[in-house]
Amino acid sequence: MLRLAAGAGALTVQQLLAACSPRPTSTPLPSLTGIPTEVVHPTSTVAPTNPTGTSAPVISATEATPTNTPVPQASPTPVNYDLVVVKNGEPEALVRKAIEAMGGMSKFIKPGAKVIIKPNICVDYHTYEYAATTNPWIVGALVKMCKEAGAGSVRVMDQPFGGTAKSAYAKSGIEEQVKANGGEMVIMSGYKYVPAKIPAGKHLKSTVLYDEFLKADAIINVPIAKTHSLARLTLGMKNLMGVIDDRPGMHSDLGQRLADLYTLLRPTLNVIDAVRILTQFGPTGGDLSYVKKLDTVLVSRDIVAADTYAAGFFNVKPDSLDYITAGVAMKIGRSDLNHLMIQEINLAA
Amino acid sequence: MPPDNPLPVKHKRRQKIKFTWVSLRKGIQLVSLALFLFLFIASRDSGLPGDLLNFFLRLDPLAIFAKFLSSKTFLVGSSLAILTVILTITVGRAWCGWICPLGTTLDILTPGRKKFDETKAPRPSWRTVKYGILLTTLVAALFGNLTLLILDPLTILLRTLTVSVLPAIDHLTSSAERGLSNFEFLQDPVSSFDSLIRPAILPNLPIYYRDAILFTVVFIIVAALNWIAPRFWCRYLCPLGALLGLISKISIFRRAVGEDCKDCKICSTRCPTGTIDAEKGYASDPSECTLCLDCLEQCPRSSIKLAPGFKPAAWQKYDPGRRQVLASIAAAFVGIALFKSDVTAFRDTNFLIRPPGARENDLLTKCIRCGECVRSCPFGALQPARLESGLEGMWSPLVVARIGPCDYGCNACGQVCPVQAIPPLSLDEKRQKVIGRAYIDQNRCIAWADHKDCIVCEEMCPIPEKAVVLTKTDIVDSDGTTVTIQLPSVQRERCIGCGICEYKCPVNGEAAIRVYVPEKKSGFFS
Repeated sequence: MLRLAAGAGALTVQQLLAACSPRPTSTPLPSLTGIPTEVVHPTSTVAPTNPTGTSAPVISATEATPTNTPVPQASPTPVNYDLVVVKNGEPEALVRKAIEAMGGMSKFIKPGAKVIIKPNICVDYHTYEYAATTNPWIVGALVKMCKEAGAGSVRVMDQPFGGTAKSAYAKSGIEEQVKANGGEMVIMSGYKYVPAKIPAGKHLKSTVLYDEFLKADAIINVPIAKTHSLARLTLGMKNLMGVIDDRPGMHSDLGQRLADLYTLLRPTLNVIDAVRILTQFGPTGGDLSYVKKLDTVLVSRDIVAADTYAAGFFNVKPDSLDYITAGVAMKIGRSDLNHLMIQEINLAA
Repeated sequence: MPPDNPLPVKHKRRQKIKFTWVSLRKGIQLVSLALFLFLFIASRDSGLPGDLLNFFLRLDPLAIFAKFLSSKTFLVGSSLAILTVILTITVGRAWCGWICPLGTTLDILTPGRKKFDETKAPRPSWRTVKYGILLTTLVAALFGNLTLLILDPLTILLRTLTVSVLPAIDHLTSSAERGLSNFEFLQDPVSSFDSLIRPAILPNLPIYYRDAILFTVVFIIVAALNWIAPRFWCRYLCPLGALLGLISKISIFRRAVGEDCKDCKICSTRCPTGTIDAEKGYASDPSECTLCLDCLEQCPRSSIKLAPGFKPAAWQKYDPGRRQVLASIAAAFVGIALFKSDVTAFRDTNFLIRPPGARENDLLTKCIRCGECVRSCPFGALQPARLESGLEGMWSPLVVARIGPCDYGCNACGQVCPVQAIPPLSLDEKRQKVIGRAYIDQNRCIAWADHKDCIVCEEMCPIPEKAVVLTKTDIVDSDGTTVTIQLPSVQRERCIGCGICEYKCPVNGEAAIRVYVPEKKSGFFS
């Protein structure tokens, strides 16, 4: 119901803002052939009117238009986007387009790499429609793309808090998609939890976590966007909590601890599943009326930017999320979306 | 081996493979034990249907008959037990010698049976004890009490495996895996090994049980009695053996000794149940013979046969007489009276949380104490009860949420229960069943007492609209500062008592949110 109107007038072409890219790249990327031309600055993204009259997702970070908009400069080389948002399509098409716009999976996954994909499979209570667990086709598509990029192994895992891993993997539908696409569904075994120091951590200086995450060549973090009473929203940074042992112990000063944990894990990619988002009674949900269909996938290397953008889906001010402010303070990422290179793609356009 | 040069070894081997009844019996024993162990392992999270998983228990005529007497109900699925009765009427206690997984386990654990001196075994009159246990069990069952089924051989084995053996193996395996993983080159093989055995055989995260040591001790006693006499348990104590023994009095095929017996005493000294009496022409009591057929094979003259006969076997001195029946009735009455009058029978405890859909009195008259539900419970929420329901309810299933939550996505216990003491609910029905309700201890709760945000109970609550709700409240701290805290409270009418809040509560020791039976048992369970 919140499908963005196709061809919304807001999606105007703007010049690339190479000057304000926080991470100018020195490596030239493959050409952007095949990527739609609508490269937009978030300030130009105006929520289109919704036929049902309910409010469309608003990117609150963009409410304040930057007073000092940098002068757009034409760039001869393809751009490294900080964040790509793809809307209105089937889950697999969304994530494929997003990764493509980021420069293709082979930019992130080297041949032979050991890849771990970490979706959110928190409970075995409901099927994916209830938006408590990551969309299975998104995970499946990521597995397929990693394989196409020549990954040595693609392992998918999470430690549910409700139900056994086996039943949750099956119920979520993720196991089926992962296996169909040549990935491994791994049940996290107690003996592999090892203590680890977090040298960069401010509050969380050590933890006990699943050691495969420390050994992986690349971690792809695939949360589903949901509400959560303490974190307010569970997005990319919160999803990383699934790899550690003492989760209740994280609950005091959660924001800083999540930022600390990030410094240990540093996922290669963060893919936020907003095909269906859980707007209340997260993280477990259980009623379809809590679910909003956005048909959106968001990809970024910058976990803070990804979470900041995704907060807009819930009309939540990013600076009200502790982990975003902590993440910015620790310089693990940026929340000033209007200074980032963001590409929004509407597949229905 | 070159075909043109056969070695004598080959001939020897061929002789060993020769078919004998004893090797067939041993083969069937091992297959039966393997099947029992497979079903035991598969009882948790395997997706196999409950009717298959509880197959062995439905073959147990003692459990099924006692439950029939106690609950006055009979399930179609329980008619499997009739097969065992038919088998017994045909060939006697073949169940004990060929099928019973505890019997096979005891055979394996018997030290040097062939060296055993039968004259050192307890006197035959001790055999009467098992009839006493049987009769007391049945009389008590007639009055709605099934406590003594804790002595059924299948329940003993299943409970020990669930509570003691598998968790111990799991712990040892995890420790070994962790230790070996310290060597870089072993990490991959250990990891491959781990994914083979978990979660297929061992759980991927440890599951804990209360009283594991107690159950180990009980089992060790049963096994150690083998040192006094082979199959001590089966001869003197087993109530199922006693029931099958009584049926065997009219069994058709029985052991018969031929005319050409030359009194060599081989059979009488080697019989594992010690029932061959040299002084009565090497005759045996069909109620004691487990049909192991060792004597058939060992007889140098092959004069022992199984022959049909239709005359009931002779009543032995140790078989139950009038006096013993009366004593058993008295024992059952006294036992029930004491159970019911003991203060624990008042059931005045907050923690008598039963599996979903089970009603207290119904459960106690149906539960055969097999522990299949305990085994099937994926997080160890179900534990063998101590005295929460009085001595009467000992080792019946009890939800102990601090050890494990009753998973919102699971309805396994009702599916595997062989006697529907826990009703076989669909997942949707099970989610509606209230087994208790959560209460917050505000003196210990992190939010209420320490004025710190926690919210774990709310986060974990599986009820769609959340039975634990958070209220943002400004609280003036002791130092005068005002903090805004999300205080949890329970919307009791929504809570089903699954206990995941209690399980996950980060407060040390006893949780600050606990599931209680909120009302008196009659009102709550009716």
